[in-house]
Amino acid sequence: MCGIIGYNGFRDADKVLIKGLKRLEYRGYDSAGICVIDKKLKIYKDTGEISKLEKNIPSFKGDIGIGHTRWATHGAVNKINAHPQLSDDKKIAVIHNGIIENFKILKEDLKNKGIKFKSQTDTEVIANLIKYNYKGNLENAVYSSIKKIKGSYAIAAVCEDEPDKIVGARNESPLIIGVGDNENFLASDITAILKFTNRVIYLNDGEMCVIAKDEVTVFDEKKKKLDRQEQMINWNFKDAEKSGFPHFMLKEIYDQPDTINQVLRGRVSEINRNIEFNENVEDLLKNGVDSINIVACGTSYYSGLVAKYHIEQFTKTPVIVEFSSEYRYFGTKNKNSLVIGITQSGETADTLGALREAKKSGCRTLVVTNVTGSTATRISDAYILTQSGPEIGVAATKTFTAQILVLFLIALKIGVNKNEIGPGELYKHILDLKELSRIVREVLENSNKILDIAYLLKNAKSIFYIGRGVNYPLALEGALKLKEISYIHAEGFAAGELKHGPFALLTKITPVIAIVTKDSTYDKMITSIGEVKARGPQVISIADEDDIEIEKYADFVIRFPSNTRHLSFIPIIVILQLIAYHVADMKHCSIDKPRNLAKSVTVE
Amino acid sequence: MKAVILAAGEGKRLRPFTEAMPKVMLPVGNKPILQHVFEAVKKSGINEVIVVVGYKKEVIMDYFKDYKDIEINYVIQDKQLGTAHALLQTRNEIKNLFIVLAGDNIIDEKSISKLIEDNSEYSLLIKENSQPSKYGVVFLEKGKIKEIVEKPKEELGKFISTGIYKLPKSIFNKIEDLSSDGIYDLSSVIQSIVQEKITINTIIADSWTDIVYPWDLIKVNKEMINCNSSSLSGLIEKGVTIKGSVSVGKDTKIYSGSYIVGPVIIGDSCEIGPNACIFPSTSIGNNSVIHPSSEIRNSVIMDNSHIGSNSFISNTIVARGNIIRNSFSSIAGETTVEIEGEFKKVNNLGAMIGEDCTIESHVIVDPGIIIGRKCNITSMKRIKENIPSNTKVM
Repeated sequence: MCGIIGYNGFRDADKVLIKGLKRLEYRGYDSAGICVIDKKLKIYKDTGEISKLEKNIPSFKGDIGIGHTRWATHGAVNKINAHPQLSDDKKIAVIHNGIIENFKILKEDLKNKGIKFKSQTDTEVIANLIKYNYKGNLENAVYSSIKKIKGSYAIAAVCEDEPDKIVGARNESPLIIGVGDNENFLASDITAILKFTNRVIYLNDGEMCVIAKDEVTVFDEKKKKLDRQEQMINWNFKDAEKSGFPHFMLKEIYDQPDTINQVLRGRVSEINRNIEFNENVEDLLKNGVDSINIVACGTSYYSGLVAKYHIEQFTKTPVIVEFSSEYRYFGTKNKNSLVIGITQSGETADTLGALREAKKSGCRTLVVTNVTGSTATRISDAYILTQSGPEIGVAATKTFTAQILVLFLIALKIGVNKNEIGPGELYKHILDLKELSRIVREVLENSNKILDIAYLLKNAKSIFYIGRGVNYPLALEGALKLKEISYIHAEGFAAGELKHGPFALLTKITPVIAIVTKDSTYDKMITSIGEVKARGPQVISIADEDDIEIEKYADFVIRFPSNTRHLSFIPIIVILQLIAYHVADMKHCSIDKPRNLAKSVTVE
Repeated sequence: MKAVILAAGEGKRLRPFTEAMPKVMLPVGNKPILQHVFEAVKKSGINEVIVVVGYKKEVIMDYFKDYKDIEINYVIQDKQLGTAHALLQTRNEIKNLFIVLAGDNIIDEKSISKLIEDNSEYSLLIKENSQPSKYGVVFLEKGKIKEIVEKPKEELGKFISTGIYKLPKSIFNKIEDLSSDGIYDLSSVIQSIVQEKITINTIIADSWTDIVYPWDLIKVNKEMINCNSSSLSGLIEKGVTIKGSVSVGKDTKIYSGSYIVGPVIIGDSCEIGPNACIFPSTSIGNNSVIHPSSEIRNSVIMDNSHIGSNSFISNTIVARGNIIRNSFSSIAGETTVEIEGEFKKVNNLGAMIGEDCTIESHVIVDPGIIIGRKCNITSMKRIKENIPSNTKVM
């Protein structure tokens, strides 16, 4: 998604901006540009990689400027549409994330006032609107302009006549201020500025800020000055390094034993034999949870589907999992239900919208997210952090694992509160949880077999993933991982559904990956594999180490350690991630930055 | 001045502990050996190190990804041919005089400072040793090196090379020259320089410790935590007794009735007790659990390990990820241990347990026994012989 960085300080602004843009690269983009105030506004922008921009850029002299990575929403990908956008008198430059809903009306209006437009972007409209409202003070002009704008935005603007400040504003699109010593920053994402400072101030919707060299000022929607506290970010800049792995994704897959320890940390006590969350969460889960709605998008939606099985099994409470973008408009909002929003970034626009709608209808809201201080944590009644550190690969791996594990703990906790899980059963789960990081280490260590399977799969045109019960959402996630990074068409199906349609697509050259666990679905899965085999495809089965029967039915078997019981979904998901990774690697795909995709989607 | 730290080797004599991590990453006082080296180097005034990595390099690079105290640059040695070959990999990173150290030896910062301040172009830190035959023995003439003999058959001389040198950039030409003759170790390169009548100064190191055998970890752990100061975080319940210097990490819980006598280090996110007793000189890694009424003495317990209730653990190493059920005993005593074909007599040694084993209840292990990685031992067993990795004891 688009990325914003602004700098006002003592360093060479062009260098700081480019470094920041490189940090934002992982969010996905198609073009980028910077503007530095060097007496006049000096702009350079281009399509493609930041490294190309860095190579070709002329040297600007100036210590204040703004930079942007664009992921096109309005208008094609080209130099003209890249940001920063200038007003027609070339005095005001603007960068912008989000979508302006009423930009057509505003544009017509400005055209009638004689302003000429060069690009198709909504951003150029903002630049000219600010220019139109400009009467010698940039923050006043921005203030008057945002009052006319409808939609989501995070804006940074500079003006040639006031070369000592950057003005920022946000509504439903993330924007943070980085505070340094005699230098200050503005960014859409913490990673852009972590190299320089870890002190940040979060802006809320409707707020504006003015970034001077030695001071930052925040205003509310009535232009009243606010007193905002800085927060310290514990993430380290070097977290975003590959540690010797060829791709971030592989590093993040290998991070998972530690991710598991981080999720359990302070929450699961082996000696007290209980699961603890912070007070807000405990209160929320305590009593009167009659039904649960889970709202999420993309991979987080799949982690919601996994959680559905656990919560229903452990608590006998019905769970409805919905896409945030659907729930917010159509979902049934029952006052007695608990709404759990899942968003890695805490900024996913659709999920934020869904949570706001839920709250409006009086539902209690709980958020599972990876980012402290993100919008989601501020608009919900309580939140649980997945504590998995920054994830750079666009394909979610460790954050997905952390999410499903947090949700598993929530399921256990509600089960205990409702007396559906007794102390003996809970202790068994706790022992299993404590052994989990060691089991994942074992899967990672014995992953050579997966390379052979990947070799087998790399030329496939289409691959099916099948499973039953909790393995069904895992099949969906496995297919999603594969298609997003290897560009092979892949679909996940509930194994029982194959015969109701998808069979028509099966051919001899469609490999089928079947997830088989030793539980009540085992015999049915064997039947499904038989049905598939009868139509000719090769079947690759992911099965328990103790399963001695499976070789009779499947052509290839990948094993995960036995004794995992209810937690088999964790080793299985790691195996699915490794399959996707190795297939994509063998096909030389751009694993960390797949085409057309962005890490966190902050537009609707 | 930059420092080159050689950290590419495996450390075969420390198996099974080095099966999943390089020797430099073995914990001493809950920190990898390499981190102790970084700290000493930093204190001596060096701000940038070049670390030569090879065997299991990801483990090193990942662990130190957040490390801020010193600037770390990595250089990869694909094949571990020898120390000179490892050093040669850093050629492009070095501009003038530099120092080179082994990542698996613990050295004090004063000795490094003395080496840096020394006026000569070539100098070496040496140390007195009563068993020089294990090392490169240095013969001196007026404080300069006369000869270096690698692992002499007889106990000759009294000074050994610590492998810590200050060297000029020109050494790389010499190494390249000799490597074409198949000479890849730094001692031989130095010996050949001595023969060319180049003077190499020597400085006696204050303290220098090498970790060669698994039980050295217990000894060095004791030395390192002795100088540790107390710091208590986490949750310590009423009725816990703490004496001496004890440090307890974040999110750790110590339950009532536990008795802890320092020097002891306990990592983050552990659970200990009730009524657990931990005596000098013990370190316990992160995310570990010590169940009620267990006693631990002079031992190294690494991350993610579980020790069941009523266990007795003494002079023992428990690697990462072990699950040990209740009533486990490790007997400490005098024993002879075979390491890579060499027989070594050791006093007062308990068990050495590799990572990710599962040991069921009521298991007793004899002195000096090495249990490999990922072993499963069923309950009520007495272990009298070494057990290779991936074994099931039924």
